[in-house]
Amino acid sequence: MRAERIWGAIRFVITAVSMFAVWLLFTASFGTFSLVAGAIGSLLIAALTYDVFIAKHQANLRFFLPNPLHLLIYFFVMFFFIYQSSVVMLAAVITGRVNPRIVHFRTRVRSDVARMVLANSITLTPGTITLDLNDDHLTVHWLFCDTHHMKAAGETVKGRLEPYVQRIWL
Amino acid sequence: MIMIREILALIAFSAAVIFGTAGLAGLFRFSDPYTRLQAGSLCGTTAVLSIFIGALLLSPTAAVSARIVIITLFFLISSPTGSHIVARFAWNIGVPHHDPKQKRTPVSRKKDTPS
Repeated sequence: MRAERIWGAIRFVITAVSMFAVWLLFTASFGTFSLVAGAIGSLLIAALTYDVFIAKHQANLRFFLPNPLHLLIYFFVMFFFIYQSSVVMLAAVITGRVNPRIVHFRTRVRSDVARMVLANSITLTPGTITLDLNDDHLTVHWLFCDTHHMKAAGETVKGRLEPYVQRIWL
Repeated sequence: MIMIREILALIAFSAAVIFGTAGLAGLFRFSDPYTRLQAGSLCGTTAVLSIFIGALLLSPTAAVSARIVIITLFFLISSPTGSHIVARFAWNIGVPHHDPKQKRTPVSRKKDTPS
């Protein structure tokens, strides 16, 4: 019981601090009224929604606190991947040679946030769309399918993204 | 310095035009919802991202570029979520994906609906 209350307090503080950071980012002013209003608002919203913002079973700080350096690296890596697959996609639109197929595979990343980011990155890359995400099982529509082996398909679709995500979140 | 920035921004905007046109062409060329969404992601992700990069290169002050970075971040979160929702709905109601080997695409993936 005591551990649960401590965990709840930690989640509440993290939610409130994130809310306040976003408030500072949006208002971009350091007046007294703005700071007090932001603090009261973020505390109120955190008290209402901390259970939704960070689920109870995500019982590790590394599950939702990102590694900032690797997050920055991932941002630029993602830009590179988007442009790389956009050029492939451009050629496919012109020639019309596509081989679409639905593939299923599982991911190694463990936290909900990391899985969400992985699925979103797969959708963001032109050529692959995530259709469904159940726990660690991803259903992906892949436009340039060249294999029937589902594990090989998974390695091609997510193989280069997954190590970067694993370094940001656990 | 200004000249180099303008040339780089011009390259980024040209890339946006090319990718946007290709995405629009793919939207009409392809045959089923999933493949059309793929072409739409070319239009909706890469073209918009190129425009943001060009705007970032042309931004006059640090405050403006910080806002552009924030807009880009929110765009990177929201844009794939939208196309994922459309694709997930199509998958759940049983729309079959286009197979180039089959001559005629069936109406539904599910057994109980007439094809």
